[in-house]
This record gives sequence, C-alpha cells and structure tokens, in this order.
Amino acid sequence: MITTITIFFPLVGLILMLLLKSADERTVRYSALGVAAVPLLLVTYIYFRYGGDLDASSLTQGFDWVSSLGIGYRVGLDGLGFGMFFLSALLTLIAVVASWDVRENLRQYYTILFVAELGMLGVFAAQDLILFYIFFEVTLIPMYLLVGIWGDENRRPAAIKFFIFTFFGSTVMLAGFLALGILSGPNFSIETLIGSGPLSRTAQLAVAVPILFGLLIKVPAVPLHSWLLDVYVSSPTSTNVMLSGILPKLGTYGLIKIALPLLPQGVEPFLPIIAAFGVVNIIYGAFVAFMQTDLKALVAYSSIGTLGFILLGIASGNVLGINGAVMQQVTHGLYSALLFIIVGIIAARTGTRRISELGGLAARMPWAGGLLALGALAAMGVPGLAVFVSEFMSIMGGFVAFPVQGTLAAVGILLGAMYLLHMLRRVIFGPIERPAVAETTDAGPVEMAAIVPLALLLLVLGIFPSLLINIQQPAVELVAAVIGGS
Amino acid sequence: MITAQTFVGLIPELLVFVLSILVLMVGVFAPRATGLVAGLAATTPLVALVGTAVLLFTRFEGSFFGGGYVVDDFALYFKLLVALSAFFAVLAAARWSGETGDAPEYFTLILSVALGSMLLVSMRDLFGIFVAIELATIPSYALVAFDRSRRESPEGGMKYLLTGMVAASILLYGIVLIYGAAGSAQLADIANTFIGRLSPVALLGLVLLVSGFAFKISAAPFHFWTPDAYQGAPTSAAAFLSVAPKAAIFAVLLRIFLEGMPGAASTWAVVAAVLAIVTMFVGNLFALRQRNVRRMLAYSSVAHSGYILVAFAALRGAGAETAVQAVLIYSAAYLLMNLGAFLVIDLVGEEAKSYNGLFRTRPGVALSMAVFMAALVGIPPLSGFWGKAWIILAGAQSGSTAAYLAVGALVINSVLSVPYYFGIIRNMAFEEPVTGAGEPKGTGAVKFSVYALAIATALFFIVVGPLATLAGNSGLL
Repeated sequence: MITTITIFFPLVGLILMLLLKSADERTVRYSALGVAAVPLLLVTYIYFRYGGDLDASSLTQGFDWVSSLGIGYRVGLDGLGFGMFFLSALLTLIAVVASWDVRENLRQYYTILFVAELGMLGVFAAQDLILFYIFFEVTLIPMYLLVGIWGDENRRPAAIKFFIFTFFGSTVMLAGFLALGILSGPNFSIETLIGSGPLSRTAQLAVAVPILFGLLIKVPAVPLHSWLLDVYVSSPTSTNVMLSGILPKLGTYGLIKIALPLLPQGVEPFLPIIAAFGVVNIIYGAFVAFMQTDLKALVAYSSIGTLGFILLGIASGNVLGINGAVMQQVTHGLYSALLFIIVGIIAARTGTRRISELGGLAARMPWAGGLLALGALAAMGVPGLAVFVSEFMSIMGGFVAFPVQGTLAAVGILLGAMYLLHMLRRVIFGPIERPAVAETTDAGPVEMAAIVPLALLLLVLGIFPSLLINIQQPAVELVAAVIGGS
Repeated sequence: MITAQTFVGLIPELLVFVLSILVLMVGVFAPRATGLVAGLAATTPLVALVGTAVLLFTRFEGSFFGGGYVVDDFALYFKLLVALSAFFAVLAAARWSGETGDAPEYFTLILSVALGSMLLVSMRDLFGIFVAIELATIPSYALVAFDRSRRESPEGGMKYLLTGMVAASILLYGIVLIYGAAGSAQLADIANTFIGRLSPVALLGLVLLVSGFAFKISAAPFHFWTPDAYQGAPTSAAAFLSVAPKAAIFAVLLRIFLEGMPGAASTWAVVAAVLAIVTMFVGNLFALRQRNVRRMLAYSSVAHSGYILVAFAALRGAGAETAVQAVLIYSAAYLLMNLGAFLVIDLVGEEAKSYNGLFRTRPGVALSMAVFMAALVGIPPLSGFWGKAWIILAGAQSGSTAAYLAVGALVINSVLSVPYYFGIIRNMAFEEPVTGAGEPKGTGAVKFSVYALAIATALFFIVVGPLATLAGNSGLL
C-alpha cells in the first residue's frame, strides 16, 4: 500500500497546484516543495524500515485489471528498481528547488512536473508489463510539454523530435510486450514470467528484437541518439535534471528488469551487441564531448558516454556487471543532475555557456566552481566518489564477459578524463577574460540547496557503496542466474 | 412467427421509431416549442439506451423472423454504443439546430440513422443488412447537406450522395451474386458456399461486397467522399456519422465474416490486411497536410478505420477471440474520443490557428482536447491505447504473416499520426493566444458533452476488463 501511496502522491501536488489559482509565486514554490518532499520522505522511510526485505508484503500490491488476459495492477519494490525509485523522488524535489529559471506559468510547470514524477515512480515499481508501459508513456507528454513551453528559442522542434523518436521506440516496445504476454499464457505479470517461460527460443528471439530496439532508443544508444542533444540543450535547468537523471534509465532499467530476466534466450545472442553499443557510447560520447564549445552540450555528450558503462554492465550478464549497471543508473543521475544545475547557474550569471568565453570561475564562484570540479571528477570515475564504484564494477563485469569491449571501455575512461580536465582547465581556472565573469557572484543559498545534497550523496555512496549494493544484491543475483542458466 | 418475445427484442428500435416520429409531429403541430423538441429528441436515445441495457443485463437472447434477425450480447453492445452517440449528437445539436428553424427534421434524421444502425447489428440476412445500411445512410446524405449557411455543406452532401449511391449498388451487386451462388441470403446458409476453393461467382460477390463495405467505412481507396462530407456536415452530424453508423457497419462486417464465411477466412483476412495497410497510410499521410481541424479529423477517421481493419486481418486461429474483443473495445474507445474531438470544433473553431494559446485562455476545453488528441494517438492509459493494444494482441496471437505486417504498419502509423494530433496540442500549449479569440462559442450542452466524453476517455481503463469479458460471451465465436 505504501508503494502505491508514494507513486500516486504527486497527484496531490497536481490538485494543489490547480487550487492555488490566485496564490503568489512564493506560496506556489513552497507548496510545490512541500509536496515534492513527501515521496522522498516515504521512500526514505521504506529504506530504513524495509531495506533488508523489499519483498515484504506491505510493499507489494496487486489486483486483476483485465482478468481474462492476466493483466493486473501490480506494484512492488525490488533491488533493481529501488535506487531509481529513490532517485526519482529526490530529483523531483531537486528540480523544484532548481526551478528558479522558470518564471512564467509556474503553477502549470509544477503540475506537469508532478505528472512526470508519477510516471517515473510508477515505472520503477511496476510489476506488470502493461502497467510498466503505461507509466513509461505517462512520462512522455509531461517531458514534451516541459521542454516545449519553458525551453529556449529552439525548443519546439527539439520537443517534437524527442517525442516522435521516443514514442516510436516505446510503441515498438509495446508490440513486443504484448506479444510476449499473449504468447506466454496470456500472462503479463513480470514476476511469474521470469525465466525462460513457455516461449521457445525462436519466439523469444522474435519478441526480444522489438523490446531491445525500443529500450535502446530510450537510453539512447548511439546511433539511435539523434533526438537527445537538441532536447537537452533546449531544456530549462530543472527539466534537464529529470531528462538526464531519470529518463535514460527507463531504457536501461527496462533492459535489466524485463529484457534480461524474461527473455534470457532471446537476449543472449544480442548481449555482445549491447556491449558494443555501450563501448560506442563511451568512446563516441567522449570524442564528441571533446569537440563541444557549449558547456551544456558537453555535459549532454558526457552523459551519453557514461550511459555506455550501464549498457556494458548489463550486457555482461554476470553479478558484478549488473550490480555495477544498477548502481551506475543512480550515480549517473546524481552527477549529471549536479553538472546540469551548475551549468545552469553559470549560464544564468555570466550570460554565456560558451566554454571559450568562460574562464577563471574558481576565483569568483568558489562554491559553484568547486562543485563543478567535483561533478567532473565524479564523471571521470575518480575513486572516493560513487561513480568510481559503479563504473569499476561495470567494466570488470564487462571485461569478464567480453574482454575486447571491456578493454575499450577502460580506454574510454581515459578519454573521459581528457575532455573533462580540459573543460575544467578552461572554465574554472585560467585568467578571467570576460567582464561578465569578473562581476559574477557565487551561487546563492537556494542554488546551493539544489546541488549540495547531490554532491554529498556522491561522496557518501563513494565511501559506503554497500548502502546501495546490499539492497540490490539479491535481485541482481536472480537476474544473473536466469541469464547464466540460459 | 411473431410472438411477444419479438416485441421485447425489438423494444429499443420500436422506441426510437415511435419517438422519432413523435419528434417530427411535435415540430409540425407546435413549431415554436423548440425546447420540447430538443428534450424529446434527447430523451429518445436515452430511453433506447436504458431499454438496451436492460436487455443486456437480463441476458436476453433470441432469433426472430425466421432467423434473419438476432438479438444477442454482441448486437446489444453495439446498440448501446449507437444510442450513446446519438444522445451526444442530439445534445450537441440542440442549440444550433434550433437556430436553423428545422430542429425537428434534423433530430429525426439523426434518430433515423441511429435506428438503421441499431437494426443493422442484429441482421443475419444479407438483404436485411442492405436495407438497414440504407436506412442508416440515406438520412445521413440529408444530414451532411443540412447546413445551408455554408457552401461546403450542400457540396459535401452531393458528393456523399453520388458516391454513396455507387457504393450501395456495388454492395447490392455483391449481395445478389452471393445469393445466386449460395441460394440463400441467410448467413448460416452462405457458410456452406464459402468453403475451400471459392466459385468465381462467389469470389466476385465477395469482392464486390467488401468494396461496398469499404465505401461505407471509408477505407482507402474508397474514402474520397469522407473529407468533403465531414467538412461540410454540421459538427454534430459529422461527429455522429464518424462513429455510430461506422461502428455498426464494422459490427455487421464481423458477423458476416464469422457467421457467413468462416471457411474463407484465409481469403478475407488477407484482403482486410491489404485494405488496412493502405487505409492507415492514406489516412495519416493526408491528415498530416491538413490545416483545417475538421478535415484533419476526417482523414484521421479514415486512418482509424484502417486500424480496426487490422483486427479483421487477425480474425483467425487463436487470435479470433481477441480480435473480436479488439473490435468491441476499439469501437467504444473511438466513439468517446472522436465524438469529443469533433464537438470541440463547435466550441473553438475549425482553423488550427484558433487553438493557439487555448491552455491559457480556456484551460478546461484545452485539457479536454489534449485528452482526445492523445487518446487518438494511443497514449496510455487513455481509451485509444486499449483499442490499439487489443489489436496488436490479436495480431500477435493470429500467427498469420499478413496480420503481422498489418500490425507493423499500425505501429508505424501510430508514430506517423503524432505530428498532426500533437500539432493541435502544440498550438494550444506553446503558441500565443490569437487576439479576438477566446470569446465563448457554443453552448452549455456542448461543453457538458465535451467534458463528459473527456472524462470517459481518460477513465476508460476502468471498463476495459468488463468489456473484454463481455466480448468473450458475445456468442459470435
């Protein structure tokens, strides 16, 4: 029951925002903040109360929806989804804090943001294929509207391109889901479909192709990524937080939660290809990021690159790699949100995102600049920060399964360090070249409130990764056993 | 033999028949009483709705007139849909038709179409089917041409009449040939002729029959009347004609195929797949080019006919039951979202530009329109999603290559349709409001209909389970 309450609590925010018709900006901001805090508190409560036993019956809930076809409303938490469930609640709260660049139609902005949160929370708790797909799509229109209404001047083509690409992917995926469910029973319950099920190897292969294709578009795996850059660059900061922190993980989570355990024989021949996709993401992302002149575009491509490690870890099919991938979903969300917010802060204060026009920010913005450095170090995979742990596990797992891809991914880390250090040198250090930079001030308390929690979590999870890994271990072992047994 | 049972089975139709004549009479003898006429006309479908619902829940079943007319769950379900859409059509037309001064005639025409559609879904005899189709179609020519204040209306009506007459004769030729080949017009007797290799006469009959039906459901390449007719028709008529008679024709097509020619499934399923693929692409590609919302919705209705035809392609083997469910669910889902989308035109306007900034000026109407558009695309959990999902399910079960291809085309077409449906959402959400727009048009009744339909579209997921069960018991399989 508490899971359902958490998922649907954002509806309270939606109703509240509709009621606050004549409220001033301050009231609207604080009410949104209050509503966004509740799911996070609930998830934190779940963590401390049920952390060791996510199967507890008080967390799962289910009833039949279309009984003749075995479709049901089934929700519950497991180690695969818990980290992202937490991150969805956290990043929504952060997005509300970081919505300082949204000034027009604030109520509508929060309303739409809450609908998106509902979908994201739902995806990571859904235990039914149809329900998973519904939540998956519920995030789509809110994201389209957030970018299309509040983005920069290039927002409209970016928004519709994003929508069409990802809608195409998810519709193809839906066809795969429906075929999978109807051919195995009919049964759409993810829990009971785990394992090879009644499907023959050929049927699994036929069903796996559309599902993998749809999920890889969502990630996005290079070369299916062409929708990504425009929409990332055009979005307002707080939308970026959700777009980069959560949305790609709908794809990777789908791979871990559905494609691998439900279609082990169908996915198995594609694992080397997924690993190759991962390596391409890592290397392509690093090279293209290196060439960017726009700081936000650089962060966007860096994000594509880091997603590659998740793909590699998933493709490894072993406990180590999948553990790394599941954790990397969370750590990537933390650091990419951090970087996007700081880029937003810098752009708002200096009036530019061009790397060549910045420089010497460390002197004027010690806190923001310092945290940008921390975020960049995290993205490089520096030990002591959370990304190191997850990236290391993904690469090791990947190396065991696919030595070539694993080695190339390790080279990719070096490339990442190269462009990130290059960026830091030009943005943070060096002489102050522009008057706008000379006159700028450091991040204020509200801005710090948005970035400090992310930085702290990166540190804490870097030092105590077991906080997360212990929770995900049993579920990861199950997935690895199913894949290994095929 | 006509017994009391016959009258019970015909209660909904008799009610509509008697009351629609009453509406006309009131118009003749009390021409000033527009309120009374509208009230009576709106009550008629409601009464029929209640009558049908009672029959459905008491599990009334029966076969009358020598087996030519059947009342089963399947027929009653579609009668419900027809009555429901007739109710909304009358409600939406109440104010407008009163202003034309010909309200009784307009309502009688709508009710006649409803009567024809309700009779149609019960017919088990090819000639009965033809008569019922024409009963539903002939008044609709007049409905389309009813708006004398706009030039497009008589033009659309004339085009519709000419093509409709050609379609009717093609259909009749097909029926006659099948009658000649089978020696009977009853579906049960025909089934023996449509087994194994078809005789040339039977095959030609089948082709002509399907072509005639393709006209009626505006399947490409027989769709050319649709945009002109829907653009010319008064909004309430276009909304009604795009859902009620169409649902009834799909229903009877299902009955003809399943009861009349199950042995020839391999032939008509492939024909349906080809028609479906062509229709989806034609509808969507032409809809993409439209700036006029009415015309856009007309082409969209062509595309949706194509989607439903995919279910017919999957109507064989293990997929048959799911395919029947798909047609039932899609018809209900489409009724809600398409009626609603058309009625919004009465509130806002038919130019795409008039939707600019609607979210800021009239959020309620804008949100409803956004729900209809998203539902027509197939975004979950709105009504259209369930229709499409069931069609894909049936396709996956059918095990036929033609159905797989049609399902693939359906997926591609869902994406193709995004730009034009979301073009409206984009205008409403992203563009600046047009100056001078925003003055409320339409009436409270239209607004009520739009809101009710939007809520039903959004909450459709609640009734999906029961609908699927009902389809399982429909008695067609």
